[in-house]
Amino acid sequence: MKKPLKLTVNGEPREFFVEPYFSLLDALRDELHLTGTKKGCDEGDCGACTVLLDGKPVTSCLVLAHSAHDSQVTTIEGLAGQDGLLHPVQQAFVTHGGLQCGFCTPGLVMSAVGLLQENSDPSVDEVKYAIGGNLCRCTGYSKVIESIMAAAQEIRDGNG
Amino acid sequence: MPEHIALGKSLPRVDAMEKITGKATYASDVYLPGMLMCKLLTSTESHARIVRLDTTRAEALPGVRAVITGNDYPDIRFGSGALRDRRIMATDEVFYIGEAVAAVAADDEITAQEAVELIDVEYQPLPVVVDPLQAIRDDAVPVHEDLESFEGYGFAGGGNNCTLLDADRGDVVQAFQDADQTIEETYQSQPINQGFLEPMACVANVEPNGRLTVWASTQGPYQVRAQLASVLDIPLSRIKVIAMELGGGFGAKLRLAFEAFPAMLAMKSGRPVKLINTREEAFTLNGPRLETNIRLKTGVMNDGRIVAREAYSIFDVGAYLGAGPNAGVGHALGPYKIPNFKLRSYGVYTNKIYVGSYRASGVADMTFAVESHMDSVAHQLGIDPLDFRSMNAVEEGDISVSGARLPRNGLRETLQAVKDRLGLPKKMGEARGLGIAMGEWRSGSGPSTAAISVNEDGTISMLTGSVDISGSDTSMAQIAAETLGVTLDQVVVPKRDTDMAPFTGPSGGSRIVYSQGKAVQMAAEDARNKLMALASDRLGVPPDALACENGKVYVQDNTPQELTLAQLARMSLTSPQGPIVGNASLSSMPFAPVYNTQAAEVLVDRETGRVTLTRFVQAQDVGVAINPMSVVGQLEGGAVQGIGRALSEELQIDSETGRVLNPSLATYLMPLAVDMPEIETILINVPTDDGPFGARAVAEPPGFGPPAAIANAIYDAVGVRIKELPFTAERVLAAIKGQQPKAGFIDIEALLSGENPLV
Ligand code: FES
Ligand code: FES
Repeated sequence: MKKPLKLTVNGEPREFFVEPYFSLLDALRDELHLTGTKKGCDEGDCGACTVLLDGKPVTSCLVLAHSAHDSQVTTIEGLAGQDGLLHPVQQAFVTHGGLQCGFCTPGLVMSAVGLLQENSDPSVDEVKYAIGGNLCRCTGYSKVIESIMAAAQEIRDGNG
Repeated sequence: MPEHIALGKSLPRVDAMEKITGKATYASDVYLPGMLMCKLLTSTESHARIVRLDTTRAEALPGVRAVITGNDYPDIRFGSGALRDRRIMATDEVFYIGEAVAAVAADDEITAQEAVELIDVEYQPLPVVVDPLQAIRDDAVPVHEDLESFEGYGFAGGGNNCTLLDADRGDVVQAFQDADQTIEETYQSQPINQGFLEPMACVANVEPNGRLTVWASTQGPYQVRAQLASVLDIPLSRIKVIAMELGGGFGAKLRLAFEAFPAMLAMKSGRPVKLINTREEAFTLNGPRLETNIRLKTGVMNDGRIVAREAYSIFDVGAYLGAGPNAGVGHALGPYKIPNFKLRSYGVYTNKIYVGSYRASGVADMTFAVESHMDSVAHQLGIDPLDFRSMNAVEEGDISVSGARLPRNGLRETLQAVKDRLGLPKKMGEARGLGIAMGEWRSGSGPSTAAISVNEDGTISMLTGSVDISGSDTSMAQIAAETLGVTLDQVVVPKRDTDMAPFTGPSGGSRIVYSQGKAVQMAAEDARNKLMALASDRLGVPPDALACENGKVYVQDNTPQELTLAQLARMSLTSPQGPIVGNASLSSMPFAPVYNTQAAEVLVDRETGRVTLTRFVQAQDVGVAINPMSVVGQLEGGAVQGIGRALSEELQIDSETGRVLNPSLATYLMPLAVDMPEIETILINVPTDDGPFGARAVAEPPGFGPPAAIANAIYDAVGVRIKELPFTAERVLAAIKGQQPKAGFIDIEALLSGENPLV
C-alpha cells in the first residue's frame, strides 16, 4: 500500500504516494520521474545514485523513501540555476572532460558539490576521498579530479 | 600550419549538456504508459536436464500479465560468431548457473519477482566440467553432446574444443634447434567483468501497426535487430531498435543480450515491457571474460635476435562461444619480428557463464603473457628489456601474422617517448621497480555509412547509424565541421534508430572514429563538392578557384564574391541537383595498427606482498587526435581498466559448480579514485594514410599493457615473476616466499600430447 510522502525536491515541495519499501532512489525515479539520478547497483556500492539529503551526499538507494519524510533533497536536475546556468561543478565537468558515458556523472557531481559546500579548497587527496564511493569505469578518474579541482577554483574566485 | 576550425580542438562533447544536467535518456529511463516490469528465473544448476518447468502458479498471481519459457520461442539456434550453439532461453537443458530459464512480466517489479519464485522447476543434474584444462582433454565430459551438429562447426577436435585457430610460418623445429637459448613459460589470466556502470536494460513494445520497437542499451543496434529477427523468427523489417544513451559497454553490449525476453513478453502481453539487470545479473547472466592459459616458447640468439616462437593458448569460453579466441594467434608474437612461428589458439567449452567481448580482452590476455615473457627472455640474455624490445620491434614493410604489410607507424616513437619521460634507464630504490610493456591493435574496421545534409540556415546535419561511445559523436561532428569549414556548434547530431539511419557496424574494436569517421569525412567532402559546384555555377568561376571555409564558399583571389552555406542551401532547393546531401559508404579500412608503450613504477611491501602503483606513463600513436581531450580521456580510462585487471579485479568462480562467487561491486574490486596515481599520457602523431585527417583507432590498446608492465615492475622490485593475474598481496607474498604459483604447473603440451588429436 502506497503511503503519502512529503519532500522538498530541488526547492519544490512535493507530496506524493510511495510504497513503504521503496528507496528514495526509486521514489525519485519511478514516482517523480527524476531519472537523472542513476541506479548502478541498488546496493550502495557504486555511488551513481548519490543525491544531497539535507545538504549531505547520500546513496539514495540505501535510504528508505519514507525515512526522508520532510527532508530537503537535491538531485542533479536541481543544480543548474533558473536561467539554465550550470553549477560550477557541472560546468567544469563539461569543460575538462570529466564525463564520458555519463552514467556515473550525476552521482559524482553530487558528491563533489557536497564536498565543495564544506570545503572549497580541497587537496587532491580530499577530492579522491570525497568521491571514494563513486565508481567510474570510463574516465579513470584523472579528468574527474581535474574537473572538481577546477570547480573549486571557480568557486573560490567567486564565480559560483 | 593552416588554422583549423574544429580539428584537433579539445571541445566539450556534443552531448555534454544533456548528460551533465541529468536529462540524457538511458534505456532504464524509458517509462511508457501501461509498462510492465520483467524479472528472470535463472538456472541454479551448472549442467542439468530440465525435467519439469511449470509456470501455472506464477501465471495465477494477480498482476502477472505474461510468463515465458524457452518453449515460447521458435526452435532456433543462434550464435555470436560463426557457430550457432545456443538458444535464446534454455529449453530442455541448462549449461551454467545463471542461465535464463523463464521470464515474467507483471504490473510492478515486486510482483514479477514474486511470480518468478512461484515457477516450479525441477532439474536432473548432468556431469559438469569447470576447469578448461580438464575440459580440453579428449576424455572430458562434454558440455554440449551435440557439438558436431551445430551449424558452423568446422573443427573436428573432439572434447569441448569448439574452435581452433592456427598460423605457421618458416621452419619452427629447425629454428629452435639453431637457437642459442630457448625459454618456455606459462601464463594465466583471470575471469573478469566489463564493469559498465549502467546495468543492461531494455524496453520492448509492439506498436499498433504490429512492428516491434526496442529501446536498448547497446553498442550494436543493427546487430541486435538482426539477431532478434533470427531468434523471434520475424522479418528484420518489422523491428526498430532505438539505441539509447549508453552507460558504458566496453564490448559487453555488442550483441543481443536479453532484448528477446521483454520482446517476447511484449508480444505475448500486448503491453510495453521493461527489463533492467540487477547488478548481480550483470555479473552472472552473460558475457564476461573467463580464464586464458597461455604457453609461450621462444628461441633466441645470444645477440638478442628472436628466431622462433611457439604459442598455445586455451581460452575458456564458458557454455557458448560468445567471442572467439582470435587473439591467441593474432597477438602471440607481440609487436616483434619473429621469422618462424607455430601458433595455436583453442576455444574450450565449460559449464560456466559464456564469454563476451571486453575491450579486446583476448589481446590484453596475450599482451600480459607476451610482454612478461619478453622481460624473462631479456633477463635470461642479460639484455635491458627496453633494448631487447627495440632490437626486435616490427618495422614498416614487415608482414604481420595475417599476411598484411605493416604501414608507417609510431611504435618506436612511443618507446622513445616513455624512455625520455622516465629518464631510462634509471635506478629504483629498495623494493621499488619499473616495468614496461608494448601493445598493438590492428584497428577496427567494418561497414560504415554517413549522410551529411546542409540545412537552409547553413547548419549541417550529420546522420550515422553508430552508437556514441567514448565521445565518438563529437569526434565525428568535428570531422564534418572541419571538412565543411564550420564550427562544431553548427553541426546537428540527431538521436537515431535503425529505421532512420543507414546500416553500420557496431561501436566496438576502436573502429568508430577510424572507420565510421572516414565515412563522415567522405560524406562531408561529397557535400562540399556539391556546394562548390553550385557556387561555381552561381558565381561563374571554376570550382577550383573556390574555397569552402568559415561557413561560406568564396572566390580565393580576394574578390569580394562569396555565398554563405545558408544561401547555397536555400539556392539548392530550386537548383537542378536539388538539396545538398553528401553520402558515403565503405565496407572496410586498410590495415593501420596502433602501437603504444606503457610503463609502471611500483612499490612492493615485502612483508605483506602489497603492490602500490606509484607512477604510470603511457605513450600511444594516435595518428592525429581529432579531439585531444577525448583521446586522452580514452587512454586514461583504458589504462585504469588495465590496472584493475592487474591488481584487483577477478571474477571468482567456484571450481566445483562454475558459480560466480562475487557478483557485486563490493566484492568485484574495480579501481577507485583513491587507488590511482595520476596517469601520464603522451600522444604520438604518426598519421595514417587513410584514416580521417590521419587519425588512428584509440580506445583498445591502453588496457593491454598494465598487467605486464606491473608484473615486470614487480620483478624489478623484488625479483619474482608473477605469472597469474591479478597480483593480489596474497599471491605476491607467496611468490616472494618462494611458493610456486599455480600457472607454473600448467603443462599445456602434455595436455595436448599423446592420443590427443589436437596437436
Ligand atoms: S545505485 Fe546506489 S550505490 Fe549504486
Ligand atoms: S563516465 Fe562512464 S562510468 Fe563514469
